[in-house]
Amino acid sequence: MKRMFEGCLGAAALALAALPFAAGSAQAEDPIALGWVGPLSPPGNYSGGQEMQWAVQLGVDEVNKAGGVLGRQINVTYEDTKGQPAEGSAAAVRLITKDNVAAIFGEFHSSVALAEIEEAHKYGVAWVGTDVWSDAITAKQYPEVYRLAPANSLVYVKAADWSAEHFKNIAIIAENTDFGQGGAKVIADELEAKKVPHTLVTIDLAQQDFTPALLRLMSQNPKPDAIQMVVAGQAQYQLVKQACQLGFAPTAATALIGSSGLLQKEVWEVDGKCAQNLLIVNVAQPKSQWNDKAKAFAAAFTERYKRAPTGVAMEAYDTFGVVVDAIKTAGSADRGAIVKALEKIKYEGTNATYSFPTTKTPDWAYHQFVDVPFTIIQYTEMNQAPENAAIVYPQKWATTDKILPEK
Amino acid sequence: MSYFLLLAVNGLVIGLIYALTAAGLTLVFSVLKVVNFGHGALYMLGGYASYYIITALHMPPLVGVAGAMVALFVFGVIFERLVIAPMYTDKVERKDEYAIIVTFGLTILLTNLGLVVFGPFAKSPPPFMSGVLILGPLILPYDRLIAAVLAIVLLVGLTLFLKRTALGQALDAVSQSRESAAVIGIDPRRMYTVAFGLGSALAGGAGALIAPIFALSPSMGDLPAVQAFIIIVLGGMGSVGGSIAGGILLGLVQSLGVGYLPDPNRALAYTQAFGALLLVVTLLVRPTGLFGRSHLRLE
Repeated sequence: MKRMFEGCLGAAALALAALPFAAGSAQAEDPIALGWVGPLSPPGNYSGGQEMQWAVQLGVDEVNKAGGVLGRQINVTYEDTKGQPAEGSAAAVRLITKDNVAAIFGEFHSSVALAEIEEAHKYGVAWVGTDVWSDAITAKQYPEVYRLAPANSLVYVKAADWSAEHFKNIAIIAENTDFGQGGAKVIADELEAKKVPHTLVTIDLAQQDFTPALLRLMSQNPKPDAIQMVVAGQAQYQLVKQACQLGFAPTAATALIGSSGLLQKEVWEVDGKCAQNLLIVNVAQPKSQWNDKAKAFAAAFTERYKRAPTGVAMEAYDTFGVVVDAIKTAGSADRGAIVKALEKIKYEGTNATYSFPTTKTPDWAYHQFVDVPFTIIQYTEMNQAPENAAIVYPQKWATTDKILPEK
Repeated sequence: MSYFLLLAVNGLVIGLIYALTAAGLTLVFSVLKVVNFGHGALYMLGGYASYYIITALHMPPLVGVAGAMVALFVFGVIFERLVIAPMYTDKVERKDEYAIIVTFGLTILLTNLGLVVFGPFAKSPPPFMSGVLILGPLILPYDRLIAAVLAIVLLVGLTLFLKRTALGQALDAVSQSRESAAVIGIDPRRMYTVAFGLGSALAGGAGALIAPIFALSPSMGDLPAVQAFIIIVLGGMGSVGGSIAGGILLGLVQSLGVGYLPDPNRALAYTQAFGALLLVVTLLVRPTGLFGRSHLRLE
């Protein structure tokens, strides 16, 4: 009996001794926690945020279905930052301290990103930006901060050069945010250098009636022959509609150039025929250059969400891919290891093959993906999808040398 | 001169729509003495109601506007009966705070429900009429012109209803004194329900009129709500005529301000500042607003 008791005691002791290992094994199989940030409700650009979230979730499901990363599933916590810096800052702190995420990625609004990166830097957590363009984000040169989207200086210098070649007097309509004012300054400086007359008009994103400002531009002598909008999201719909109804733009006399918000199919519902002949700065490969990954992503996204992905969705999908690749390269979900691994990766996504330089000149180039593919497209037919639109820039991908309607 | 005319006409048209939005808010305040912070959400709901009546039921745009007003009237009546009505009883001690919380709650609820039900992507019903009216230097899209005319019709109709009908006069009586109105046989609670329903219908009508001009989104009511608050203070709290005058004045000041501010870069971004400045100056000169009565509070 005594022997039996001793045997039981020994077994119990063995079981107790084995507990930490058992717990360790369970922990190794816990999902890797990642944090996504972006606008999903007002006053942020929630339509852009929604597209980004959908793209990321598609990527998460694909990775988890394929067995996860390092043998662990991925669990993404989505934080709605509402387009407000204070929300972004609080979301970053929550993700880092409460959800214990290995890295943070996403975001659509530069002003919000600038608040988030302060927290990421403070806690030493990697932050990878999806569609935030303000130069200041990477210009801070925080080791934790990486960006897939172009810096304003990367795209708008080229866009301004193209505009300077085609137009003589340009109006720049920019939102009153870090993205808008930063982009407008880049364009204005470039036009100034090329001695192209230009006028800057600042708008508030909450505004709906832009007619008085458009009337003012129309009354200028000479009247602008191009309007470049540095405005995110759906505020552009109103600008397009109102400029068109006034007979101002897009016309043979005045071209209208917008950005990614006009890539969503709703532009046709809201603006109708006014969207025809719109020019759009599009951060995406032309369809003719899509790799297999891009084709597969577009097909899966369209099947699941019943709408074609825009370049922003592709960027969001790629951002998740970059973070996952960094975890693989690091060989762990350790925060510091991921920060370092991001400098080493060369990840082929849907839009490009991503790597992040450590050069510090110009200041915004640090951890900035520089080979961002971008085109200037023009809708030439009603209800045209962006991938079927004419490409007017760059030369290597151009499908036409004409800007419609011809003068 | 033609530039001034263009700006003035644009300001007038926008101002009329502002006035319609604010008229519903001021009617509710006048009768219930409740500031309805959910007014912008009702405006949004009206826009979507009109959109679905036009697109799903294949009705003409004007039927969409009328249908949206009816739907919002019913919604307003139900909301008032279920949520606002407890405020008139002794169960609610802090009536002002209760009203603020439930109407703010309405905004949060409807905006977020809007995101879920209508989706985050912009929608737009077809225009009332395509094309642009060009009269000499004047350029005015037909959908704005029609919206302005309909806003005038609704505002005149509202004014006549309040002045010439027994129900309108009963509403006016309750707005002046709930207890005195009760003494002469008017049921104040019934009037509260009617006023909230009418206020909601006017908000919905404004949202439906603006839907083809701008676009529909769950947050489309945020800015009009702020402007409506400016207008009702500007016109005088509780004065329907004041809100009409205030709306038109605000539209004109904003349009001309953007057109003539010396700095073209900042002019448009200062649109709301022009409204705030107008409000401050008006309140300095007339603390009760343009046509306001003093001492309006739930008895």
